[in-house]
Formats: sequence, C-alpha cells, structure tokens
Amino acid sequence: MDMKRAYYEDIELFKSGVIIFWTISLMIVLFTIPLYASNYYLYLFNLIMVHVIIAVGLNILVGSTGQISLGHAGFFAIGAYATVLLMTKLQVPFFAAIIIAAFISAFFGFILGLPALRLEGPYLTIATLAFGLAIMHIIGHTDIFGGRTGLMAPPLDVGVPKLGWSWILKTDVSKYYLILIFTIIMVLVAINILKTKAGRAFVAIRDSDIAAEVIGINLTIYKTLSFAVSAFYAGIAGGLFAFVLGFFDPVTFNLLLSIYFLVMIVVGGLGSVMGSITGAAFITYLMYALFKNVREVPYLGSFLVTISERWLTITGLDNMSAIALGLVMIGIMLFEPLGIFGAWIRVKKYWKTWPF
Amino acid sequence: MVQELNFKKRGEDANVYIGNKLVSPRITGICKFNKRQISSINKKGGEKAMDLRRIRVVMIVSLFALFMFAYDGQAKQETGFDDKEIRVGQWGPQTGPAAAWGNVARGSKLVFDIVNDEGGIAGRKIKYFIRDDQYNPSQAVAGVRELVEKQGIFAFVGGVSTASCSAVQGYLLEKEIIWISPCTGAATFYKPFNPYLWNMWPSYENDASVIAKFAIEKKKFKKIAMFYQNDGYGLDSLDSVKYRLSKKNMELVAAIPVEPIESDLSSQIQKLKASGAEAVIAFVGPKQAAIAVKTSVSLDFKTQWMFSYNLSDYEMMNKITDGLWAKEGVITSAFTQEPFAKNELTAKYTAAVKKYAPTERWSIFYMAGVVVAEPLVQVLKKVGKNLSTKAVADELNKIKNFQGVGPKVTWTATNHMGPKSVQIWQCGPKGEIITLQKWTENEISRD
Repeated sequence: MDMKRAYYEDIELFKSGVIIFWTISLMIVLFTIPLYASNYYLYLFNLIMVHVIIAVGLNILVGSTGQISLGHAGFFAIGAYATVLLMTKLQVPFFAAIIIAAFISAFFGFILGLPALRLEGPYLTIATLAFGLAIMHIIGHTDIFGGRTGLMAPPLDVGVPKLGWSWILKTDVSKYYLILIFTIIMVLVAINILKTKAGRAFVAIRDSDIAAEVIGINLTIYKTLSFAVSAFYAGIAGGLFAFVLGFFDPVTFNLLLSIYFLVMIVVGGLGSVMGSITGAAFITYLMYALFKNVREVPYLGSFLVTISERWLTITGLDNMSAIALGLVMIGIMLFEPLGIFGAWIRVKKYWKTWPF
Repeated sequence: MVQELNFKKRGEDANVYIGNKLVSPRITGICKFNKRQISSINKKGGEKAMDLRRIRVVMIVSLFALFMFAYDGQAKQETGFDDKEIRVGQWGPQTGPAAAWGNVARGSKLVFDIVNDEGGIAGRKIKYFIRDDQYNPSQAVAGVRELVEKQGIFAFVGGVSTASCSAVQGYLLEKEIIWISPCTGAATFYKPFNPYLWNMWPSYENDASVIAKFAIEKKKFKKIAMFYQNDGYGLDSLDSVKYRLSKKNMELVAAIPVEPIESDLSSQIQKLKASGAEAVIAFVGPKQAAIAVKTSVSLDFKTQWMFSYNLSDYEMMNKITDGLWAKEGVITSAFTQEPFAKNELTAKYTAAVKKYAPTERWSIFYMAGVVVAEPLVQVLKKVGKNLSTKAVADELNKIKNFQGVGPKVTWTATNHMGPKSVQIWQCGPKGEIITLQKWTENEISRD
C-alpha cells in the first residue's frame, strides 16, 4: 500500500517509526516474560519458539518457493540427533554442535532437493514423505543413534567444556533466553533472505518455474538451495528441541509432526514470515494447551464432563480438544484462506480508512 | 492524479491512490471513471460489511482462544495437598494411536473414587487429574508441568509409554514428587536408583525368564524359538531367554526380530516354521501378535505361542484375532490376578465399576490403573494426618509383601524395583483364563 521511491525502501527492515515502536515493545515483552510467567508457560514458549524457527524455514520452502515437503520431521530429527550425538560422543561444544547439525540437515535438504527438480505436486509430496519416514526408521534401526529406545539429552553446556570453561544452562529461564536469541536471529535472517536475489528467485520459481528459468534463474541451484535453507532451519530447531524436551525417540518425529508443521504455515499464512510466526504460536498453543485443563475450569468443567459422560464416550472430552483444533483450522481456511496473516492484512486495511 | 487503480478479479475491491495516499471511494468521485468502474466502486460498501463480518469471526475465534489461555488454574500450590484434598495426577493416551491403553489412567480413578466415597483419608479427599498425552512425550511433559506448576501435585501414579515416562522422569525427580510405577518393565526406571520412583511392573527380563522356565520345565519343550520386537522391550527379553536356556545347556532354534511397524509377517513366520520350533516365545505388540498368530494358522505352522504380560487381555486379543487366541490356546504371562477371581477385593472393585464407571470394561489394563493406585492409598491411610512427602516416602520404603490385585511388592530404602514374579495363564477354548502356574519368581534374576 505504501509507495516505494527507492530500492532501499523496499528492502529496509523497519518501514516506519510505528513498526520500530511495536517491534521494540514486543522485544521488551519477550525479554521480560520470565519475570511473570511460570515455568510451565516457559516450556510452552520454548516449544513455540522451536516451532517458529521450523515454520519460518518451512515457509521459505513451501510459501516462497512453492515446493511442498512432508518430510520436515526428518530434518527436525536430524538436527536433534546430530546435536546431541556430537555433544555426547565427540564432546563438541553446544554452539558448534548445533551449527554442524544444521549443516548436516541442510546437506540432506540439498539431497532431497535434487528429485524436486523433476518432481512436482503430489509426486514431490510422496518423495518428501518417504524421506521423513525413512529417517525415522533408519534412526530406529541404528544402535549408535539410540535405536528405538531413544536418547537422553546431555546437560545444556553453552561453554567449551574441553577448555575448562563450562556454563551449564539448567533452568527453563536460561533455556528460554537461549532459544529466544536463536529465534530472533533466525527470523531476521529469513526476512533478509526473502529480500535478496535468492529470495526473489524463490518467489519467481513459485509463480512459474519456466518463466523463472527464461529470465535466467538457475533452477537447479535455487530449488536445492531452498530445500537446504529450509532444512537448515529445521536442523537448528531440532537441536534446540532436544534440550527443551530432554528425551526423544524416533517416534517423536513421526509423520503427524510433519503435517502439523505444514498446518502451522498454512494457518499462519503462506509466504510470509509473520504468518509463520503467528501460525506456529497459535497451533502449538492449541496442540498443547487447548481444553487440556477444561475439567478444572469452574462450573463449565463439570458441565462438560456430565455432557461427555451422558452423550459421548468416556474419552469424549479429550477428543473435544482434537475436534476443537480441527474446527479452528477449518474455520480459518473457510473464512481466511490467506491464514492469520491474511486476517491481519484485512484488519489493517479496514482501520486504515477508518472512520470512513 | 490517480496513481494506481487496482481492481481485484471479482471487480469489487478497489484501492485508489492519489499521490501515495489511499483515498476512500467517495473522494474518488472527482476522478473520471466509466460507468462500470463507478458501479463496482459503489459495491465496496457491501464488501465492507463482509469484511466486518469476517473480522468479527476472527475476533470471536481469538477471544475464545484467549479465554482458554486466561484460565490459569488455581493459585500455585507448592505442597500438593491441603486440609481438604490431596492432589494426585497421571498422564495417559486418551486419544491418538495408543488410545486403547487410556483405560490405565481411568482405572486409577476408580480406587480414588472408592476412597473418597468412604470419606477420604484423614479428612482429606483425593483430587485426581488426568492429562491426555496422545502417546507423545512432549505432550506428556507439558501435561505434567502444567499439573505440577499450576495445580500442585503430591504424587503421580502410573503413566503409559516408556518414552513419555523417560521424558518426565528427570523433571519429577528434580521436583521430588512421589511417583508410583510407570506402566512399563523397561530397565531405565530402576537403573540407576531413583529415590522418588517406586516400580510395580515386573521387568521384561524377569517376565521372559519365567516364561522360558515354564516352557522348559513344565512343558518340556526342546525346541524353543524367539520372536521379538527390535527395541528395548524385545531385546531385554531375548537376552533373558538366552540366559535361561544357557543354564540348561540349550539354545534357541531361531531368534527372529521384527520391526514394530511391520504388518506382513509371513517371511518371519516361515523362518520360525522352518526351525521346527515347538514353542515360540514372542515379545511383540498386540497388533503384531494378532498378525503372527493368524499367519501361523494360515501357513499351517503348529506351535505353542507364548506372549508377554502385555498381551494378557484375552477378551481384546480374541476380538482382534477373530477367536484364534482361544482356538490356539495361547499362553501368556500375567502381572495381575484373574479379573474375575472369586475374592473380596475383586468383588469390591467390580461393584465399584458398576457404580462409578458403568461404561468401562473391567479388564487387565483398567486393572493396571488400579494396581498402581493401591499402594499409594494404602500408605496415605497409614500416614494419616501428618502428611508430607517424606512421611509417605518412608512408609513406601517399608512396604513388604503388599498385594492388591497386582503382583506382590516389597520395597526398601535402597531398592524400588518391581516384583520379580508373574503368573502363567492360558487362553481357554471359550476365551476364559486358565491359570497354569501361580506367582513364580525369576530365581536367576540379574537385576
């Protein structure tokens, strides 16, 4: 809606003072959350931020480049396993381990990007789906990866223990800040990627890959790059997730998780970083907290329990949480095909001409 | 000067810019439009109403979500009990892939309902919370944290899924919350020793060893094969069966692994058949057990199937094998007493099920929930008025030969291991339970 007079205006990070103001306010809120939120919410926030990182990465692939992936749980698993194994088996410091893990994940993303050069639509979906499932079973089969029993994450030492400089993050608060910093960096990087030549090439490929090739975009490079970048994000997210949960087994990274990741960006808004963030936060919250404690809500709780026992099955109330999640998703798709981000644009547009 | 006139496909929504300022459609009257354009701009009033409606829907949805978010439970409770109630929790898969085991968590409720109806314990009622983890460790952690930090929990009982239990073990230990028995026989819960975790489940090692002993000594089988799930559950038991056989200078005629997701087992059953095994000791999940028995019948492989206690729910197994479980006379071990044994305790529970949970089936896994809740109630009654975590832990450490409807347990201050004995049952022709061997201890246990 705004006029652009120069190239720089198109790529600058903060387009107006209003945006700077709200960004700073948001940062202040995020950095002070541990002061007033209990540990339970910090765990939830940690999960949300991990999901934000992976959703932002997935949106670069799906929303911006137009390639689909149902295998992101696989990259997520690679990140988690590689980080933990590098730290426990090779005593690599945490920061190095998580970055190496993300590069390993990116390498697998590159490999998976190769068939994407020839496959499209449902065929690509099947190829990525197979990748996600294969990773889960390869890990389950291999003893060094902990097999099906799973792995325990080591203490989160952000120092360099080999040099005798160790700094172990034990509390949820310290993990929260670590993940918050990672999230901010990864989101900034994503916003910037989309404003570079590579980002515009991704969008061109999404809109029409033939046209993109005609204007000189190397499809081989940019499609595989998109997969690699997206997998890198998933790798970082996986490395952090390992420490949020503390324990994981191959089944943790199942197909359903890949689908949830996709749901996050579709509900949030395809092709937008803000959409990924809101989508990840919204869906994670619904998955983990919606209706979970409905039994303990005064009056309403006992009312619902009675209804559930009288008219539904014994687990009727528990299934309501899944049903509510589904209904919210359907509702958003029906009323807001562009997702939460689309709703936001609409609200913004509506108020722009207010009160006319 | 009109900079941009952007009509969307439906021709209704117009953004008109003068300079870089968006102007309302009414002002644009000064611009020159043709008739069609003007009529489409006028339609924008309708579009606006539509917009409003959509915005309202979005707002209602988010308000609803906010309401759920805002409900924060009661004020934080540190101790997990007060003068009126003792708060006890459990997580379990009420929905999701393993929802069939959700009745464990609901089974424990039965015990607490009975106690509360009898007037509670020293004036306190037990308030019981269930959180659905969908068989997913990250959900279990979320549920447990919410319970501990928002509701304040004195003790946890049960907990299905080795992965979920492993994920919360560290947290519960750190918070020093009493936890009576994960519903699994995996070794990670007693090695290393955890002072706040008491096990009631016979380990898979002991289970497999007793089954093997029965096969060798009572049934006099010479050719025994093993069919095992390729994970901790299967590998622990394989190791144990091998150890048992080596004591008798015997060897397995075949040891065939299976991946937990495989559903075509014909090649594995062929291999077992080729080995000529008289008995197959199998440590697999319910679905694969059903497929294995069905496949062995269709391949005409006559053998004695022997399964772990995880498959001792004959009613369910007969359902999913179309009655083959009974026809083949499958043998399993068992960690509970017979569901319909004729004694006072069973009568009390079955009557209670009719009263408090008429839609529940009184079955092995429902009983498992009862099994883990029994010692807690027993100890709480003993401790009485002066309740504290330490007092309850001390009493739990003194439990000796305690038996409810589960196995006999004995705990000490340094040993919280589960019992080493199981029963051996056979599925009779009508699906009934035939007890072949009463509680038998694994005398060569290496735990």
